[in-house]
Amino acid sequence: MKNDTNSDSSKPKKRRRDEEIEAESSSSDRTLSLEENLTFSDTLVALRIMRAQFPHIDKVSIRPFILQSQLYSSVNDRTQVDRELESLRRERVLRVFKLNTGQDDHAIMFLDDYLNQIECVVKRMEEKKQVNLEVFEWFQTHVLDSKLEPSVGHEELCSLLSIVGKVKDEHISLLINAGILTRQLIDPDMYWFAIPNIGSVLKGLSQGRKEIISFLNRRKYKEMMLALLEKKHLRFSPLDMRFHLRDLIGSGHLKTIHTPTGLVVQISKD
Amino acid sequence: MWKDIGGREAGQIRPNSFANRVKSHRLSTLQLSNYKDIVSPHKGSINSLQVDLTEERYLLSGASDSSVAVYDVQRATDYEGGGHIAKHRSVFVVDKQHEHGHKYAISSAIWYPVDTGLFVTGSYDHYVKVWDTNCTRVVMNFKMPGKVYRTAMSPLAASHMLIAAGTEDVQVRLCDIASGAISQTLSGHRDGIMTVEWSTSSEWILVTGGCDGAIRFWDIRRAGCFRVLDQSQSQLGRRPPLLKRKVSISKSLSAGQNSSVKPRAPQKRSANGNGVRQSSVGRIPAKGSVRQRLHPGMLSSQDRATAHYGAVTGLKVTEDGMYLLSAGSDSRIRLWDVESGRNTLVNFETVRLQTSKPIQLATTQDPAVVFVPCMTAVKAFDIWSGKTCLTFRGHYEHVNCCCFSSQDQELYTGGNDRQILVWCPSRLISDGVDAGPMQDQDNWSD
Repeated sequence: MKNDTNSDSSKPKKRRRDEEIEAESSSSDRTLSLEENLTFSDTLVALRIMRAQFPHIDKVSIRPFILQSQLYSSVNDRTQVDRELESLRRERVLRVFKLNTGQDDHAIMFLDDYLNQIECVVKRMEEKKQVNLEVFEWFQTHVLDSKLEPSVGHEELCSLLSIVGKVKDEHISLLINAGILTRQLIDPDMYWFAIPNIGSVLKGLSQGRKEIISFLNRRKYKEMMLALLEKKHLRFSPLDMRFHLRDLIGSGHLKTIHTPTGLVVQISKD
Repeated sequence: MWKDIGGREAGQIRPNSFANRVKSHRLSTLQLSNYKDIVSPHKGSINSLQVDLTEERYLLSGASDSSVAVYDVQRATDYEGGGHIAKHRSVFVVDKQHEHGHKYAISSAIWYPVDTGLFVTGSYDHYVKVWDTNCTRVVMNFKMPGKVYRTAMSPLAASHMLIAAGTEDVQVRLCDIASGAISQTLSGHRDGIMTVEWSTSSEWILVTGGCDGAIRFWDIRRAGCFRVLDQSQSQLGRRPPLLKRKVSISKSLSAGQNSSVKPRAPQKRSANGNGVRQSSVGRIPAKGSVRQRLHPGMLSSQDRATAHYGAVTGLKVTEDGMYLLSAGSDSRIRLWDVESGRNTLVNFETVRLQTSKPIQLATTQDPAVVFVPCMTAVKAFDIWSGKTCLTFRGHYEHVNCCCFSSQDQELYTGGNDRQILVWCPSRLISDGVDAGPMQDQDNWSD
């Protein structure tokens, strides 16, 4: 069940096998298995635990985020999840961002983590000797505080930023370059709030999803025991299997069935 | 069942709750009917189904092969299977060969709300036609600038007979049967309009959903829409909290910057059953300087709030007129409180919904259930919790429309596989054998 594909030279194969063995041993060291900890009672508890379980990614410095579909698979009542998320959002504990990876993908990040992420980006820009860096201060104090939705209009953004100082187009370009704002494709005047440095992780997310779905589709009955599936190592995604499984179960692509020997994960038809 | 009847007789159960109990029980046993069948003469996918509002006896269906058919769902045309299976063939069919029939697919076929003497069809050939049922003749023709996606007439209308037509053009047109002309156009949407519904509590309120993802409420007696639903404006629970007026913080900030925008003139409206409050001035997004002077009613066209991240493909107002259900191509179904205009955040577990065609939803009041066509199945959700109660799998291809007859608790669904399926509460076999229709020769009940 190891994903040994044919590679040309023996050396890379050996290295990959070593990595796989390492990954396996580290995952068996983790005391929490997905099967036992699939659901939680409360949204905030689920968010905190999933934040702690966020995989460590080597090349990119990114703070933990949680996908909304992961929350749906972790708490039984979806309406309760939506309402608790809404009240947490209003209390400014966390922020919700719309991602461009799928139809209804949203990422949730605790506000402290998000501010830390912005700080990292600002620091990197300072090293490159960028000017106009005060716009990040303005952004954090005025825009983030008052705009709790995932999107903001151009006019409103300018008016909120110009409370402190004169805002120019270069300021807004700087925000877009940093990855904090993205333009909306459907509406030229609206921006989405975004998490900086998340691009490669999102690519890994889509590829990882495809990999799991195609792996299960190739099996005879399109299903597998959760305990075994959890131990597999993903080739194309830096995020771990547990992250992807929670996301796919929550978005409805996979469903879990209770069997006498444990949970079985199956591709859901329709 | 007998215990409930005894309780009702003794006065322990109130009449309404008794009726609701029987209806919920029957609803929970809905399944593909094994004693009733509707024979569909259509050669194209079925896009619209509606049972008439007065008697709930005649079912009208419109299909992609430009055909319209009417079926009597209460009396069968013939029986098969030894008298056990009732076949309902169409009472009449109108198709392309009709001299004034539609040329392309019919997207919407609705009954005239007052009686079954007229019906209205809207089609992709840019025409809305009004037909006389008894002679199957076209009485009136309205030409639209684009493909007609939906037509609707108000079930409560006592002083107007307007057909609201949603087309791929950005304006909603109201066609008047009394005068034979298009009497009003409502502007505000930024893309085509996929769904149109009249309010069930006021004859003047129209709700439209567009391909731009916006849902707008129009009062047809004045210009412009008075509310645009925004999915980020939410309330936790069925009704907003009584004492605190929850205004979200971003809106209060934009209210402060509104001094340069001309405030909308306060509209006085006589309480007409629906106490819909007009939106506060703060809803208008702030503009630094007003570039053009707009009529106060048209200020809403600058409101770009969206109710869904894709197109709005289905709308349904609940029978009490207090809540609105909307389905979008982002595969989300949202429940809106009409009075406050907020998203109640009920999460309906849908994986995928059809995106290219409008879908028709059906609701019942008690028990509060909504029937949604989800790809090849129809799912029944509980309105307040969002959980799936029942799933109806029977169609071979995508389901486009469903219609619930609350009198008989029967669900009719039509899809791309050209079939109309009937879902009935399960019946005991003994009922079918004893009350064989062959034996009962005359129609009187003794």
